[in-house]
Amino acid sequence: MKNTSLYEEHVKLGGHMVEFAGWRLPVMYASIIAEHMATRTRAGLFDVSHMGKIYLRGKNAADLLRVLIPTRLEKLSPMTSMYSCFCNERGGVVDDIFVFMISYEEFCLVVNAATTEKDIEWMWSHNDMGVDIENVSDTVSKIDIQGPRAREILSAVVSDNAIASLERFHFIYATFSGARCMISCTGYTGEMGYELLIDNSSATELWRALLAVGGSNIQPVGLGARDSLRLEACYSLYGHELNDDITPVEAGLRWLVNSDDTYIGSDVLRRQKEEGAPREIVCFELTGKGVPREHCAVTKGGVEIGVSTSGGYSPTFKKGIGMALVRRNAVKPGDAVEVALRGSGVPAVIVKRPFYAFNG
Amino acid sequence: MSSIPEELRYTKESEWIRMDDDFTGTCGITDHAQEMLTDIVFVELPDVGIEVAQGEQVAVVESVKAVSNVYAPVSGKIVEVNSALEDSPELLNSDPYGDGWIYKIEIKNKTELEGLLTAEQYGEHIASEG
Repeated sequence: MKNTSLYEEHVKLGGHMVEFAGWRLPVMYASIIAEHMATRTRAGLFDVSHMGKIYLRGKNAADLLRVLIPTRLEKLSPMTSMYSCFCNERGGVVDDIFVFMISYEEFCLVVNAATTEKDIEWMWSHNDMGVDIENVSDTVSKIDIQGPRAREILSAVVSDNAIASLERFHFIYATFSGARCMISCTGYTGEMGYELLIDNSSATELWRALLAVGGSNIQPVGLGARDSLRLEACYSLYGHELNDDITPVEAGLRWLVNSDDTYIGSDVLRRQKEEGAPREIVCFELTGKGVPREHCAVTKGGVEIGVSTSGGYSPTFKKGIGMALVRRNAVKPGDAVEVALRGSGVPAVIVKRPFYAFNG
Repeated sequence: MSSIPEELRYTKESEWIRMDDDFTGTCGITDHAQEMLTDIVFVELPDVGIEVAQGEQVAVVESVKAVSNVYAPVSGKIVEVNSALEDSPELLNSDPYGDGWIYKIEIKNKTELEGLLTAEQYGEHIASEG
């Protein structure tokens, strides 16, 4: 099991350490609900150094990506980023990824920790173009600062005027204490915020500075609230809403399928986008008491229509919420369903995606 | 370090009972239990009047992290429940031995009390579980 460069900081802050995808990380410090609400109202600080970080370099780097992702690469210009995924021949998702275009010949990918090795093998197996693939996951830390106060805190720690005008999905390189830091205006919480990539050797100093300057306006946040924040914002989590057998069209990510190139899975995905996929991800909230988890059967009028992929308690809305993979057109927003919790069906209602609209 | 009041009796499953008089006891979950569960968001209370056997499930406590059954430390009849928990389940986190009590039970067989853990034994039990 691996420790991130911030392991000692988490222990000192009272983090409850758990194993996640081969890494020791805090699931929470004192309270998942408090950490969740701090991110919604002030700022949350996350150590997500376990995430995979991979550089693609070479004159054919863009062409390799064109083969691997269903999303138009022309969406990107240097120093901008986008969400996308790798798909297999059946259209199922190998991994969901963030693509940062540094230049036309250099890209940085941020991928899921548990799938980093799988992604690298996948890329190599399609790399007959001489693209250099470098995995820097173990030497580069990733720190996210998210929430309404994120900009002012980050600007006070990293004095770079470009932060104030940095637009969503754009990124810059700044200098923190002599080290190069990539600052991207992106995140996984539904709040305005930044994702920071910095060498392990400078990560602790940056983490401490953000906490010191933020004072009572910032709170370290563990994996528990990271999950409840992304669930409210309806961001997919690999292994839940997405996997090798679920396509992006089924997962409600049809907007990712817009490339005109021939890419892996393009036949299936284009057809599904036109004709519809067999299943779809829907959102539900419990009207009865309880907290839905994943793998709960969802029924409508006594007939099973699908199963929950994620579930939890929403600290913002103070009720149980979840996402479910169901037969297409089986339900629409407003429909009453039942979610099987501990053997009995708890009433729920289908609602529009997302629960929490992006607060930018 | 979690709090383990001296005057209560405990189960290995982290329930506590406090004798209010010769026949009635107040029950809840321990400070250690609420620390393990973290933020508690729902409590399913038993119906007043039902009879339960020692070790039988009487309530359900659900936190953001997990769901946990609450078992009766002794046999008896539920005579009162803490309905404040329906709207304020977080009382279980903030005051597990006080305002976060779950139910009162009229005990059937006082000898069952003797089999429960003392504060010292319960402290050793949770320490041994790591």
